[in-house]
Amino acid sequence: MNVVITPTMVAQVVVSGILAGGLYAMVALGLALIFGVMRVINIAHGPLLMLGAYTTYFLYAGLGLNPFLTVPISMLVLFAVGLLLQRALVFRVVDAPELSSLLLTFGVSIAIVNLAQLAFTSDLRAVEYITGSWVIGQLAFSKSRVIAFAFAGALTALAFLFLQKTRLGKAIRATSQSREVAMVCGIDVRRIHLLTFGFGSALAAAGGALLAVIVAIQPEMGQVWTFKSFLVIVLGGAGNYPGALLGGMLLGLVEQLASLFLTTQLSEVVAYVLLVVVLLVRPTGLLGGRQT
Amino acid sequence: MRRAFLAALAAAVAAFAIYPEFGTGYGVRSILQVFMWIALAGSWNLVSGLTGYVSFGHVAFFGAGAYAGGILITQHGWPWPVASLGGGAAALVLAAVIGGPCLRLKGPYFAIAMLGLNEVLRALVSYFEGLTGGGNGLSLPTLDASVPIYYVMGLLAMAVTAGTYLIITSRFGLRLMTIREDELAAEAMGIDTFRHKMYALLLSAVGPGIAGALTARDQGYIEPISVFPLATTITMIVMVLFGGKGTVWGPVLGAVVLFVAQELVWARYPYVHPLLFGAIIVAVVLAMPRGVLGLLQIKYHLPRTI
Repeated sequence: MNVVITPTMVAQVVVSGILAGGLYAMVALGLALIFGVMRVINIAHGPLLMLGAYTTYFLYAGLGLNPFLTVPISMLVLFAVGLLLQRALVFRVVDAPELSSLLLTFGVSIAIVNLAQLAFTSDLRAVEYITGSWVIGQLAFSKSRVIAFAFAGALTALAFLFLQKTRLGKAIRATSQSREVAMVCGIDVRRIHLLTFGFGSALAAAGGALLAVIVAIQPEMGQVWTFKSFLVIVLGGAGNYPGALLGGMLLGLVEQLASLFLTTQLSEVVAYVLLVVVLLVRPTGLLGGRQT
Repeated sequence: MRRAFLAALAAAVAAFAIYPEFGTGYGVRSILQVFMWIALAGSWNLVSGLTGYVSFGHVAFFGAGAYAGGILITQHGWPWPVASLGGGAAALVLAAVIGGPCLRLKGPYFAIAMLGLNEVLRALVSYFEGLTGGGNGLSLPTLDASVPIYYVMGLLAMAVTAGTYLIITSRFGLRLMTIREDELAAEAMGIDTFRHKMYALLLSAVGPGIAGALTARDQGYIEPISVFPLATTITMIVMVLFGGKGTVWGPVLGAVVLFVAQELVWARYPYVHPLLFGAIIVAVVLAMPRGVLGLLQIKYHLPRTI
């Protein structure tokens, strides 16, 4: 590339990276919760995010609701979907070898994507609610992304507050540290599993609802988010919830920097190489795994 | 029982061998597809069915083989049978490169790392336009070689199935299955698990590589979307799970039954068919983890090595 890279461009990319990273962190926290508590990697995490985006779209297009007000509704709807999935299918494989839960959620993910294709068609849809940017100095802040970042930050903070302060949150953390000990302490582990799957799905839905305002919505938008969320929790350390925040920011920054110094096409390759390198050099993630 | 089975097998092979003499073009192409799916499903079974390391990105080897074969044919003028071996070699190299880091990862980490690999290859192929034609794809010189490709693909399907039989009945196969059942115990028993998983991955990459190159030659045109679809990985997995993972004939059974079902019924309802694939995976995992063959094995006391 012959383009000269100025400090402003780098600063702009850092801004974009942090804005994207906030969303990554929130969505990945959902996957991390489910993985931490049940040792299940939910391959359907991204497709659940897609359902959240569609919920927001239909509330906006059908009822004319402000898309940002639909975030809690999408979360509630997908919380229910998450409960249903866990109650009907996933709880059966929690104790089975990892192969079973991987394949099961993979099957669920295929089914969700194709149901969405049947129900909503593959047409691209968009929520054109807010466009343009705020310009501060030489830096542009995309309005929709800034608002999404604020929402994601607030929801992530709420989630951490919930995990730290409430009885239910403590029970979730206890279960993720040691299921047996949690059981001995009188925690209904199956109920915790059920609710955790719901919370995890709700966080994915929040990501989908916020993305709906930013990118085009289509049934296959979700899959890549399963991979990215996984990447984030590996970067931060699987089972380490604050690690998800660091991992999210890092992924956002790395992707944006890669698209500046290389090309957009290769930013995915860079993210992949990052995953492999981190897994080889520090398999427990940057913050070390399993401290909650 | 065993003799009857071998006689039936020989009769089937003979029937497929003379079929192109009097079969229709459509028939030849359909059976060619069945052969391809047997080779792909059998190959996935070698790594995922035997070692329990789920590869969600196996189509990457198929696509790598397709591009290697396509490039060797168009830019270096290799005859297609040699180029298809080149496709297998390319897949082997890819497996060696990717296996080094990825197989050090346990279970789910490996699965997701493979899920990403597919997207990465697609991005790389689109990026190196000079070599691969990028998004415009790669057109191969026209050549009607359906019948020879039919035979080669048939040989490939037979080789993969025979190879699976040899592996499952060998000590090497037992070691792979020990890794699947309990990797820690396998290591404690002195099995070099990394090296065994690596061998399994290498073996499972060759078949898809050759099949990819043959498919590229047969179709005459490849593009990133057509040779790296997640749907191909899904189909391989569904076929193996349905037939019975970790068995010799499970992938064959799954490939034949599901391909026929797809041609007869599901082709009319394009979106229902992948939806059913999702449902089959869920149903098989929950209700019959060892597939149709697993059920038959229990019901008719069949040997473990079928």
